[in-house]
This record gives sequence, structure tokens and C-alpha cells, in this order.
Amino acid sequence: MISKKDFIKINDWLWEIPKNEKMNVPARVYSSEKMLEEILKDRSIEQLVNGTMLPGILKYGIAMPDCHEGYSVPIGFVGAIEISNGIISPGACGFDINCGMKLMKSQYSEQEIKPYLEKIAEEIYKEVPSGLGQGRKNKISIEEINKILEQGAKRIVNLGYGEKEDIENCEANGCLDWADSLYVSEKAKNRGRDQVGTLGSGNHFLEIQKVEEIFDKEIAQNFGLFENQIVIMVHTGSRGLGHQVCTDYLREFIPLMENKYKIKVPDREFACVPFLSEEGQRYFRAMAAAANYAWANREMIAFFIRKAWKKALGEKATSLEILYDVAHNIIKKEKYIINNKETEVIVHRKGSTRAFPPYNQEIPSKYQKTGQPVLIPGSMGTSSYVLSGVEKGEQSFFSTCHGAGRTMSRHKSLKATSGEEVIKNLKSKGIIVKCRSMRGIAEEAPLAYKNIDEVIEVVHNAGLSKKVAKLTPLAVIKGE
Amino acid sequence: MEKYKIIEHRADLKIKVFGKTKEELFENAVLAMNDYLQPEIKNSKIIKRKILIKSFDIKTLIVDFLSEILYLIQTKKETYFKTDFKKFTDTEIYAFIFGRKVKKFNEDIKAVTYYDLEIKQKEKNLWQATILFDI
Repeated sequence: MISKKDFIKINDWLWEIPKNEKMNVPARVYSSEKMLEEILKDRSIEQLVNGTMLPGILKYGIAMPDCHEGYSVPIGFVGAIEISNGIISPGACGFDINCGMKLMKSQYSEQEIKPYLEKIAEEIYKEVPSGLGQGRKNKISIEEINKILEQGAKRIVNLGYGEKEDIENCEANGCLDWADSLYVSEKAKNRGRDQVGTLGSGNHFLEIQKVEEIFDKEIAQNFGLFENQIVIMVHTGSRGLGHQVCTDYLREFIPLMENKYKIKVPDREFACVPFLSEEGQRYFRAMAAAANYAWANREMIAFFIRKAWKKALGEKATSLEILYDVAHNIIKKEKYIINNKETEVIVHRKGSTRAFPPYNQEIPSKYQKTGQPVLIPGSMGTSSYVLSGVEKGEQSFFSTCHGAGRTMSRHKSLKATSGEEVIKNLKSKGIIVKCRSMRGIAEEAPLAYKNIDEVIEVVHNAGLSKKVAKLTPLAVIKGE
Repeated sequence: MEKYKIIEHRADLKIKVFGKTKEELFENAVLAMNDYLQPEIKNSKIIKRKILIKSFDIKTLIVDFLSEILYLIQTKKETYFKTDFKKFTDTEIYAFIFGRKVKKFNEDIKAVTYYDLEIKQKEKNLWQATILFDI
């Protein structure tokens, strides 16, 4: 059982478990002392230590302040793996490949939109289904799925459902070019046929928010954010298609890991194979294809939001521009200086958001001076944040937190509160709620999550990313 | 005998399943998964589907078996209440599952995981499995 005494305090925001004979690198946790005590209540740290045993992991295995128990590594993990001798692990990316965030900016203030808010929320609710047993009405063909898998958000824009500028305002321009639909099973493609433009359930949501507070005026101005501005946040991923890609490769890789490659890891769920193996490369291309599907899904949702916005506002509807779209479950090749040498590594981010600093070549030209916009959702009814990437973030492979992080099981949450009570509380704060399930609302109640403000303080003070703006919800739209 | 129970877990769905035999254990795991999804039945017409699974060992077999059924649940929009095993070994299943069409589900399961998976015979006529689902 790991306890606080196993850690060395590096500073107020960073704690380390030194490397032992089983670990390949030390384990690091970005956290306040108070949050660390909370983190130690579940198996997150045990799972983080398991992650440090992955073959080829370099520097540290890292957990974020919002981390919580998952499977293989905890949710809220970053690990950089050496290409030549390292592995790739479908379990350390997770089932919801490219689960991520998109933020749309309006030119309106809260006061201007207030009379239309209920109508906008209702229209968005009608336009964007959750996709649980009621996906989109028309199933798209496998040929079209293949195009989406290889072209991502670009395919949606090329079909006329988005703006060209949306692509630029998207991590990797909404398309990982090494994706190959050939390595995605028919089963996965079938699961994806009626889910492009669907939200999913659980913690996935849409929110109409206002910019509550600006922390960095210059960066906010560059991002096109101003106080009281109406913005719309989207949180979803690759839906059933991504889940099936992960399921397929876990099934294939467990026997390979144990028999063919004889890789010893503490948990089967890692299901890792050498990155450079034929199998590893197949998964890397399939994972990229699923990530592209997720970008297409969020872009299609943006189309439906714009449609709802126009319907609700009529002639008053001005454009909704994308601030950025960024993943928090993904595996990518990136270069870092490790042991004084530029090294290309396979970064596994599971519940952790990429936060590239100013002058990074992979971010859009307009964000070159500010660093990449980083989008962090809070729990339902609480604040969300816009952060920016910073130079000091290299310590965590330019990664930061991804949300509030659960502290309570759904079961306990259901016992502690009811959907009706949560809605009543949100309404008392003036927040509109559109949801298909009372149970879903109770399961995602704010009391089941860590305090997002505390999470953000840690990543800001630790130098992983910088606070730019705080967003508060005006309307929450959820699936089941 | 209790068929299954839900175990506390911070983020996911953990269930403990029971059965007099391995077959019953697997069938009850199917029931637990279907119950959790809270399906709203469309009509009473019974649907029969064939399942053929070959796997690495009994632990991967239960995950692969449930994953296959989860795929059918989600793509066919059906829920299953009965399993009829024609062949059952520690690495292979040939079975028919019976179910009904669904209007909608009120919960979602992303996937069945191999994490912390346990299958053991507790005593004569009592098999037990612990399974974690990503939800």
C-alpha cells in the first residue's frame, strides 16, 4: 500500500516516488499536499507506479492533480516511451481514443444572449443526440467511414459541414496523417456508422458558458476572449468506433505480449507490444484513424450547434468561431531533449491534455506568441478553464490536466443526491439543464468530482500551463 | 443464489458475478451487463444470435465473450436475457443468445476491461468472477 511517506516533496506542487528495482523511472505526481491525500484514497498511484515499469519509458511516469483510478495507468497519466526499444500500449491510451474538447466563440455578451438562451439550449439538445440506441437517423456507408478515418475533421469540412478556419484551429489540423483505415476492423466501422455527430453519455457534455474572469488580458485578447462573452464547449470523443478499436487490439495484443514478445508488466490491460513491431505499427495507425473519427465527430457537432444557433437567433446569428480543439486521450510521436540529446518519443496521454508552448511549430501561426489554447472542463455546473501552453511545461512533456477528476463512484453519487436535486441546485444558480436522464445527472453531480479550481491552481503554479480565462456554465446539455 | 452484485468503484463499473457452474457464471455476467444498460424494450419479439469465440485463457474468454455481446447490443440495438451454450471450454464458446429489440438504453458501457479480472471456484457449486467495465 503506497502512502504519503513513500513520496519525496520536490516542491509545493510536485511529489516523487524514487525509482526502485521494479520501476524503470521515478513516478511523479503534480498535486498540492491536500489533493495528494485525496489521490491516495484510490489506486491511482499504484497504477502510476505500474506505468513506470513500461519498457522504454523515459524520465518519469507522470500523474496530474485530477488523476483517478482507471485500468492499466490511472486517468490523468503521461508517459514518454523510447521509440527504438519501447512499447506502445492501447490500454495506456484507453477506450475513448481522442476524447477531447472543442470551444466555440460567439461575438455576443451574456446580456445580449440571455433572452435566447433557453431556445438555443433546446435547439442544441434537439440537434445533437447522445447516440445511445438512437444514433443519427442515417447510417453512413463504410466507404464514407474510411474517408473520415483517414481525413478526420477535414472530411467534414470538405463535405460542407464546417469552415476552413476550423481545421487550422484544431490539434494536428484535425487529422493524423499516419492513420490507415485498413487496420480498423469492420466491427469498429459498423459501430461508427450512425455516431458521427453524437455526444455519448457519462461525463460527455455540451455547455453554453460565459467568460467569467480573464487572468491574462494579452493572451485572452489574442485568443479572441472577452469578459461576459458567450462561448460553447463540446466534450466528447470517438464513441463506439474508438471503443471497439481499443477492444480489438487489447484482445490481439495480450497473447502477443505474453507469448511472442514476453513483455512482463504488472497488468494485462497494458497489452503492450514493441512500438516498431508490425503489430505495434498497425495499432498506431488504427489509433490515429479513431482519433480522426473523434475530430470529425466534434466538427460535425459544431455544425449542428451552428445550425441550432442560427435557428434560435435568426437574423441576429453571427458566426461561431472555433478557439481550439484538443485531445486528452491520445498517443503521438514528439521530440524532447532527453539526456542532452533530441529524442523522438511515443507520448501516451490518458486523461492529460497536450499544452504546447509559444513558438512550437505544431500550433497555428496565430497562437505562436501565446502558446496553444488548452481547454479544461470542470464538472457539471462548475467552472471550466482556458489555459495556454508554457515553456516550463517541458517538464511534463508539454502536458497538463484534463478536468476535475472523480472522487466518488457513480453509485455513491446516486445515493448522495438525485437528478432532481442537482437540477434544482443548478437552476438556483440560473443554469438551464437539458438532459435525457435524471440518473445521468445525479451520477455526474459536482459533489462526485474534485474541485476544478484547485486542480487548475496546481497546474498553473507548477508551470505546466497558464491560466487565461475562467468560464462558467449558463446551460448544460447532456446525453444519458 | 445472488446472480451478481455491484462493487464500489470511483469511476467505472465493477461487478462480482456468481454461478453454480462456469456456464452459469458467464450467463450471469451477460445479465449484469444488460441490466446495467437499462434498456427500454421495443417489442416482445424474441431474437436469437450466434456467438462463436476462441480465446487465450478463461479470463480473456469472459472479456472477449462479453465484448462480442456488447458489440451486438450496440450495433443491433438489442438486449439479451438468455444464453444457451452449445460448446464451452476454457478457451472456446459456441452459444446462442436470446434477446429483444430496444428503443433506447439509459446507460452506456464503453468496453469490458481485463483489469483486475478474477475468475475462481470459491467452493463446490460456486464460481465467482470480478469484472471491470469502462463506462
